[in-house]
Amino acid sequence: MFSKTIFKQTLRSNWKLWAIFTAIMAAMSALVIAVFDPKMIQGMMDMIKSMPGVADMIDESMLSGATSLLGMLGQSFYGMQGILLGLIFVIMTANTLVASQVDRGSMAYLLSTPIKRTRVVGTQALYLISSILSMFLVVTIVGLSTVQLAHHGLWGTEYTADVKAAAALLEVDEETVDEDLTLIRDNPQAITAGAEARGVDQDVYTIYLNQKLANNAYQAAADALGVDVAAVTADPTLIRNSPEALSAAGAVLGLDSTTYATQLDQLIAQSALSADHAQEMQGKVVAGLTAAAEVLDIEPGDLAQDMGKIKANPAALGAAADAAALIPAESFPEGTPPAAVHQANEAAFLSIINAQLANDEISLDNGLDFSVKDYLLLNLGAFLLMFAIGGISFLFSCVFNLSKNSLALGAGIPVAFFIFQIMSQVGSSLESFKYLSLNTLFDPNAITSHGTFVPQFAILAVLGITLYATGIKVFKEKDLPL
Amino acid sequence: MPVLNIDHLTKDYGSGRGVFDVTFEVNKGEVFGFLGPNGAGKTTTIRHIMGFSRPQHGTTTVNGLDSWTQHYVIQRDVGYLPGEIALPEELTGTQFIAMMAELRGMSDMTYTDYLTSKFELEPSGGLKRMSLGMKRKLAIVTAFMHDPDTLVLDEPTSGLDPVMQDIFISFIKDEKERGKTILLSSHIFSEVDATCDRIAIIKDGHLVSTFVADDLRHNESKTFKIEFASTTDFERFREQIEGPKKLDVISVKPHRNQVRVLIDDAHVNELIATLADYHLKFFSEIKFTLEDYFMKFYDRNTSVEMETPNATN
Repeated sequence: MFSKTIFKQTLRSNWKLWAIFTAIMAAMSALVIAVFDPKMIQGMMDMIKSMPGVADMIDESMLSGATSLLGMLGQSFYGMQGILLGLIFVIMTANTLVASQVDRGSMAYLLSTPIKRTRVVGTQALYLISSILSMFLVVTIVGLSTVQLAHHGLWGTEYTADVKAAAALLEVDEETVDEDLTLIRDNPQAITAGAEARGVDQDVYTIYLNQKLANNAYQAAADALGVDVAAVTADPTLIRNSPEALSAAGAVLGLDSTTYATQLDQLIAQSALSADHAQEMQGKVVAGLTAAAEVLDIEPGDLAQDMGKIKANPAALGAAADAAALIPAESFPEGTPPAAVHQANEAAFLSIINAQLANDEISLDNGLDFSVKDYLLLNLGAFLLMFAIGGISFLFSCVFNLSKNSLALGAGIPVAFFIFQIMSQVGSSLESFKYLSLNTLFDPNAITSHGTFVPQFAILAVLGITLYATGIKVFKEKDLPL
Repeated sequence: MPVLNIDHLTKDYGSGRGVFDVTFEVNKGEVFGFLGPNGAGKTTTIRHIMGFSRPQHGTTTVNGLDSWTQHYVIQRDVGYLPGEIALPEELTGTQFIAMMAELRGMSDMTYTDYLTSKFELEPSGGLKRMSLGMKRKLAIVTAFMHDPDTLVLDEPTSGLDPVMQDIFISFIKDEKERGKTILLSSHIFSEVDATCDRIAIIKDGHLVSTFVADDLRHNESKTFKIEFASTTDFERFREQIEGPKKLDVISVKPHRNQVRVLIDDAHVNELIATLADYHLKFFSEIKFTLEDYFMKFYDRNTSVEMETPNATN
């Protein structure tokens, strides 16, 4: 079924096309990964969600999917560009390998040697399959390297840098620390080490830790209640009304149920107030940001992405504090010296910055919750889809003696599949188009959100094998106009 | 046992194209000419001999092996020179030769090198930019490189310059001396005439004649060219020969009062007796050629007013 000599010649004739497409695909996926910024995406998502009407139109799972790196990759590269590029490569190569050689007549040379037809065409099939496989291997390796380089090597380990540093300091293992962050919170030295490992100052780090703990507490409560963490976050009274949830959440924070209940009451009261307040605060912070941006001579928008810059520059901080005037003038006693007012405002603005920075750290943890296994599955799925589509193009390349006929079906059908899938995503009225497309069997969303994908993968694999085998059989038995 | 045996081969491509009930065989050491214009079915027949196509009826065998089912076995001892040269363009000539040698499991390249220098082949360049003549030479070298006992050559000299054509024809003669069995398809009479032992003529997919070349050369009929002194004589002669059909008018040139006639040696006296009544400008024998014989099949139905396209003089 395989001839090394023919494979060598095929490789020599086709490697350039492979190299070009592989380079473009690898570069594209690397770019998408490198520019991924969970903070920015999170912001965009918040904005979309806050718009009435828009949120209803968009599938909730789509929103949650896109906030993680893999979810976003699944919707962009593995949903669109990567698939389209792969498609074009497969179509072109499949046609070149058989139909075009029969059409031109150069196949006559291979068949005027003592080589069986099945070996000739089997070698071509093998080249097509291995070129797709190696293409996705390169894309995968480049992708993983990019994740490593652009996102500080957070993948592959479940523990963040601060957890590792604290674990080393406390001489316990990382898992213990990760499961009980109070170990860090209650140990000043561990806080110092953790902050350093994360590259933030201790104030920010403390806020981050508390926020993280609060999140973990919600998670524990949600588990105890058997509901989704989002439900608990949206309505903390659920925890308040359940003794089990209270004790589970309290345990995470190292508190007993009663203490945690009190804290929770405060929180609930606060969030009721904050709706109006938040709007007002937002305006003040923007004013402060604008003033600081002027001092630092950068765009306010850019500064909002990186508020640490204000902290590092006393002049900017001063300007921002004055402009924002976070503490209403009337809350100061009569005759408070301006310097004291300034100082108080500065402290208030600083705490806003710290809260924001801590929030950024949380987003980073969430956004880069990168599972190598899911990433490999994404690539495996894309490979299997291309394998099956390659089977279609290859079959028609074997069936037809003229390039134009081979392309008409070998390219037409895969392109139609691609278009049908896009159409099925546009609106619910066109959703049934997904049953007309092979592409539906590779659903990145199902992989990243742990849905069902194994049967689909199996169908793609079996279908692909059948198509290649049929192509080889057809070629073996047909008349060649050579 | 014949080396090549084509037995009632039929392949109908529709609308009259294809080959129909073609039967011939090529024996060991024989050079067999396969004559016919483009589209007559030469290449279709060769396609079946090479095992590229499956016959609708009949069989083709090479050394007793079925061409279709045993195509990869028969190739070991067959050299094939396609009519249309289409080489894998991404390779250089050297790479192509090396690939073909590898596919044929050859290790000794002495004969290949001999052929390369004999045909003045420069294989180092890329195939895409090679001239047609150079590509042809490359195809010739790869067809003969494994020194096969059987050669299937489809219009081998097209695209070669006259000097190379002569080298090729003398090479074919040498190969014949070495006992090779050769099927030579062509529409060039000179090369078929110069090399072939037996010749088959194919027309519209049907074999119309298979004959021994030497029989043609020592034919019992002769062709004469006659030019009359006047149009009157010319017309009178044409009217007279309409009656008793002992001679065959091959072509006429009314504007020159010329006529070419084919006549059996037995009737040559009658012709001379007839011609005695006319004023002639000249009377000469035209050596009968394969071309004339071939044209007999192809021009039989054409109008007398038309000149034979390839007629000289």
